[in-house]
Amino acid sequence: MIVSKNVSLIYSDKTQALVDVNLDISPGELVYITGPSGSGKTSLLKLIMGIESPTTGTLSVLGKSINDSGMMGIRKIRRSIGPVFQEFKLIEGRTSLENVMIGMRFLGIKPKQMKAVANETLENVGLGHKKLSKVENLSWGESQRVAIARAVARKPSLILADEPTGNLDYDNAINILKLLKSFRNDNTTVIITTHATHLIKDEQEATFIRVDNGRITIERRYR
Amino acid sequence: MRSFLFNFGYFIKESGRVIRLNLMSNIFSVLGTGLILFLLGIVITGTDIGNRLVIMLNEEAEVNGYFSENITAEEREALADKIGSMDGVRSTRIVDEDEAKRRMEDILGEEAKILELFDENPFEAFIEIRIDIDATDYVIDGVKNSPGIEYVRDNREVLEKIQDITYALKILGYLMMAAVGITTLIILSHMIRQGIYNNKDQINTLRLLGSPGTFISFPYILTGLFLTLLGGILAALSISFIINGAYNGIGGTIPFISLPPREELINKMFILLPGLSMALGLLGSLFGLSSIREK
Ligand SMILES: Nc1ncnc2c1ncn2[C@@H]1O[C@H](COP(=O)(O)OP(=O)(O)OP(=O)(O)O)[C@@H](O)[C@H]1O
Ligand SMILES: [Mg+2]
Repeated sequence: MIVSKNVSLIYSDKTQALVDVNLDISPGELVYITGPSGSGKTSLLKLIMGIESPTTGTLSVLGKSINDSGMMGIRKIRRSIGPVFQEFKLIEGRTSLENVMIGMRFLGIKPKQMKAVANETLENVGLGHKKLSKVENLSWGESQRVAIARAVARKPSLILADEPTGNLDYDNAINILKLLKSFRNDNTTVIITTHATHLIKDEQEATFIRVDNGRITIERRYR
Repeated sequence: MRSFLFNFGYFIKESGRVIRLNLMSNIFSVLGTGLILFLLGIVITGTDIGNRLVIMLNEEAEVNGYFSENITAEEREALADKIGSMDGVRSTRIVDEDEAKRRMEDILGEEAKILELFDENPFEAFIEIRIDIDATDYVIDGVKNSPGIEYVRDNREVLEKIQDITYALKILGYLMMAAVGITTLIILSHMIRQGIYNNKDQINTLRLLGSPGTFISFPYILTGLFLTLLGGILAALSISFIINGAYNGIGGTIPFISLPPREELINKMFILLPGLSMALGLLGSLFGLSSIREK
């Protein structure tokens, strides 16, 4: 699913964001990435999405090499990923429904089906009543749910959620994590980054990647 | 491809949004392209009319050879036959004194009374020689040097003048075409670039979601096509308005100049200008789009 060998990432301003990362994540895994601010969590997700390419080492995602894929190849990989960005990146001036549909438009889905799935997904994340609201009028938590709906409505093989619990109170954070976990299945990997280690400390069936100063340690906790 | 068909409604909505986002400058760019296409249309129409005149006058190109005095009727006939067999001569016909007078009476109409002042018929007989316009010089020389011909009259100067004007119009047409093309491309690609700039967040998000470039670009191409097409139609409408006005104004006042049928001119504008504007619109948007080609 995701395999990296000795990957490091140095930004153009010489910031060393990731050092010697070795990963092997299987289909259907639930992965938490934790670590202090600035440790490199988002950078790791950027590599997986092909937003940045490894400075050294090799990385493959969904069976395709990120190193060797051109722009077209990277876009193709992205079509199988459902990203929930730290800052959501919803498209303003559009309704929640339109935002969810826009992630599905170029996947060859019939318009009717697309609309049905988008509606259903919004109901599923508890936003059925807001589907015709413009996204700029939604609350933080609501926006986040739209972002999640957009990510999962396209039935991705890999869900990447960057800091979905940030800015949420305890109950809402727990609920969002629950929601995200509910999309994990044998074919769908879910990767979540979070500062809030206390929210996941009791997790019994997951993989934990701790990032510290660009270096990772992996702990697999399965009963 | 399937995604393309499925999303056609979305593309149209999107390009509508792109246009509304910058409504004022889009309106001005439509007016701008419309105006230059209008100028182009005027020049093309002018060239068409000029060409028509030249063709018409070419068909009527003739020189008249006047006889020397004391030439017999047989000699006249022989001379007409001889000239008729020269290269570049299409036909010859003798116009005798009486016919020459009758023609003048026709032209003068009411005023023909003035001819009654003459005791004798003041008109001379001549040979009417229809010629190929290209052979004008050659034929004139030949006729002039034929024994029995006193002098030659021709309408070459008029013809050449019209030919020159038409040629100049044609050149102007090509220059205009180039100018229109370049200007439209610049206006349009600037508009598209601005549209893209205003939507850069959205475009970036679409990229992150894995959208193919064609999907991102298509609404902008539609926008470009629509804006220039609108300009083209505007130009065609104004020109047809002017052609109609001019034809109605001229009415029957200069009946001996046969202008091209007005429908022909107008139809040409309605095919040419929108067609050209669409082609330019496509090119301009592609031009503008080339500025977003990166990661
Ligand atoms: N585009 C960039 N150019 C240069 N440096 C960058 C860039 N993006 C991130 N960095 C730096 O790389 C390091 C890792 O950043 P990253 O965003 O991955 O951290 P993070 O773990 O996601 O932090 P947070 O928890 O605050 O989101 C930081 O020092 C950051 O300043
Ligand atoms: Mg981050």
